Amino acid sequence: MSILSKPGNEPGGEQGNGPERFSGDGPPAGRLAARGLTLGYDADRPVVDALDLDIPDGEVTVIVGPNACGKSTTLRALGRLLKPRAGTVLLDGAELHTLPTRRIAQSLGLLPQTPVAPEAITVADLVSRGRQPHQRWWQQWSPADEAAVAEAMERTDVSGLADRPVDALSGGQRQRVWIAMALAQQTDLLLLDEPTTYLDIAHQVEVLNLVRQLATPTDETPARTVVTVLHDLNQAARYADHLVAMKDGRIAAQGHPDEIVTAELVGEVFGLAAVVIPDPVTGSPLVVPEAPTPLPGEAR
Amino acid sequence: MTTTLARPPRTARTSAARPTGYRAVRLGGASVLVHGRTLLVVAVLLLALAAGCVANLSLGESSVPPLEAVRSVLGLTDEHDFVIGVLRLPRLTVALLVGAALAVAGGLIQTVARNPLASPDIIGVSQGAAAVAVIAMTYGLASTAVLPYWAIAGGLGAAVLVYLFAWRGGLHAGRFVLVGIGFAVALRSVTQLFLTKGDHTVAQQATVWMTGSFNGRGYAEAEPLAWALLAVVPAVCWAARAQRTVTLDDDTAIALGVRLNVTRVGLAGVGVLLAALATGTAGPVDFVALLSPQIARRLTGTAQIPLLTTALVGALLTVLADLLARTLFSPTELPAGVVTAAIGAPYLLWLILKNRTGGRA
Repeated sequence: MSILSKPGNEPGGEQGNGPERFSGDGPPAGRLAARGLTLGYDADRPVVDALDLDIPDGEVTVIVGPNACGKSTTLRALGRLLKPRAGTVLLDGAELHTLPTRRIAQSLGLLPQTPVAPEAITVADLVSRGRQPHQRWWQQWSPADEAAVAEAMERTDVSGLADRPVDALSGGQRQRVWIAMALAQQTDLLLLDEPTTYLDIAHQVEVLNLVRQLATPTDETPARTVVTVLHDLNQAARYADHLVAMKDGRIAAQGHPDEIVTAELVGEVFGLAAVVIPDPVTGSPLVVPEAPTPLPGEAR
Repeated sequence: MTTTLARPPRTARTSAARPTGYRAVRLGGASVLVHGRTLLVVAVLLLALAAGCVANLSLGESSVPPLEAVRSVLGLTDEHDFVIGVLRLPRLTVALLVGAALAVAGGLIQTVARNPLASPDIIGVSQGAAAVAVIAMTYGLASTAVLPYWAIAGGLGAAVLVYLFAWRGGLHAGRFVLVGIGFAVALRSVTQLFLTKGDHTVAQQATVWMTGSFNGRGYAEAEPLAWALLAVVPAVCWAARAQRTVTLDDDTAIALGVRLNVTRVGLAGVGVLLAALATGTAGPVDFVALLSPQIARRLTGTAQIPLLTTALVGALLTVLADLLARTLFSPTELPAGVVTAAIGAPYLLWLILKNRTGGRA
C-alpha cells in the first residue's frame, strides 16, 4: 500500500514551507479554523486558552500532547460538541455556533472517543444512521443514501458484516463500523477523537491506514480533511501531514512531523528525555525514550 | 440477544446497503423505510387484539356468545344492548385507549432515558397524577367528571418539576431518571399523607382509583383521551424517526446534526402528556408503560422501540388485564392495575437482576 510512503507528497499542497504556512492570525487558510478559542469547564481555569488553529484542507492533521493538555477538548470544540467560553471556530468562514447543526453535519463529521450503539443494532443499520443529515421525513431512504452506505462499508471493509449485530464484533471491527457510519455522512471534514484507544497494535495500524486512505483522493472522492487526536507520538509522526503539539492548552509547535519532531520538542512537551531517529520503514521521526533506570538486567 | 444463533450462512444472501430487515418503499422523490417483521408482528397483534376484545365483551357475569357479541357491536342485534352496549363496550374502549397511550408514553420515555427501567409510573408522572387527584378528592373538589383533569394537571406538573430539577444546561438521560425516581417517592408520601388525613369514604374511593380500574369508565372518559391520542399521532410519527438518532450516544447524535435537547424534550413531552391523560382517565394502571415497549421490541427485533407495535401490545395487555380483573374472582372485581402489577412486578425484578449480572437490557 502506498500509505506508508512519505505522507509529504500529497497532492493539493506544497509541502515543507514550515509552520509559518499556518500563522493563525488573519483569514483562515482552510475550511476549518479556530480564532482566540478559549475552552473550559469552569471560568477561571480555562483548559484551552486563546487558541488559534488552522486545519489544512485535504490533509491529516494530528493533535498530540500530554494528558490534560486540552487536545480532546479542542477537537470537541471544532466539532461543536463544546461551546467556547471565548473566541470562535470558523467553518467556511462562518462562526460554527451560528450555523444550524444539521448544516454543520452535512460538511463536518465527528466520531467521539467512546460512541455507544443501541443494543442489538446491526452493522448496516448503524452505518445507515450516518445518513441522518441528508434525510427528511418524506425522504428516508433515497438511492443516494444506499450508495453512500454501500461505499462507506466497502471502504472500511465491513460489507461482509452488514447483518451482524454490532455487539458481537471485535474491537477493531467495531471501530471500523463506527468510521463507516461517519463516512456514510459524506462530509469533507472528519474529526476523530482518539480512534485507536482500546485497540491492539495491529488494529491501531489498520485504523490509521484507513485514516490515511481517507485523505488520499480517489477517482470518485476528493481527499478528505481529517483531524484526529492520538496518544502515540510515533504514530502521529508517521501518519500526520500536519502535526499539532499541545501543552497546557496552547500550541507548543505545529508543522510537518519531519520538521517539528525533535528531542527538544519531546522534552518540552512531554517532559521526556528521548532520542529521535528516522523510522526504519517510513523515514518519519521515531521517538525512542532514554534507557530505563535501572535497566531490566540490573533490576535485581 | 441471541441473533447469532439462527443465522444462515453469510454467502446465502447478499446484504443490501440498508438497515437490516428494512425495505425501502419509494414513490417519486419520497421514500420510507419499512421493517418487514414489524408488519407481520402488527398483523398478528391486531388479530390477537380483536380476539381479546371479543373475549372481553362476551365473558363476564352474564356471558354473551362471541358471535352475538360481535353482532351486537355491529348493531345487527339489540338483544344485548345493555350488557354489551352499556356495560362492556364503553369500558373496553377506555381500556384500549388507556393501554395504547400508556404503552407509547413508556416507549418514548424509555427512548429518551435510554433505559428499559424508565417509564411514567417510575419517574413520577403517575405519582403526581395520583397525589393531586387524592388532594382534590380530600377537599371535595373532585367529582368524577373533573377528577381526570386534576390528575392530568398533577401528572404534567410532576413532569415539569422533574424537568426543571434534572435540567443542567441540557437534559441528561441518567439524571432525568434519578430525579424522577426521587419525585415519585416524595409524591407517593404526599398521597399517603392526604389519604390518612381524609375521611374514610374518600380514602376508600381514592384507593380504588389509585390502583387503576376501568370499572364505571365509559365514553365520557374515552372521548377526551381519543381526541388527545389522535392529536399526538403526527408527534408520534416524528418521534419514530427521531428515535433513530437519540438512541445513539449524545456526541454521536449531535455530530449527526440532531438538535438533541429539543428532540429529547419533545419526545419526553409527548410521552408525559399521553401518560398524564391515560392516568387521569383510569388511574395509574401500573407496569403497562414499562412492559409494553420491551415486549414490542423483542417481538420486532428492531434496535429502537417500535411505537405502533408498542401501542398494540399495551392495548392488548390492558384489555386482557381488565378481562382477568373482571372474571378471575367474579363477582368480586379487581382493579385492572392489580393484574398488570402482578405481571409487571416479576418482570421488573428480572430486569434489575439481569442488569446486575452485567447484561444490558
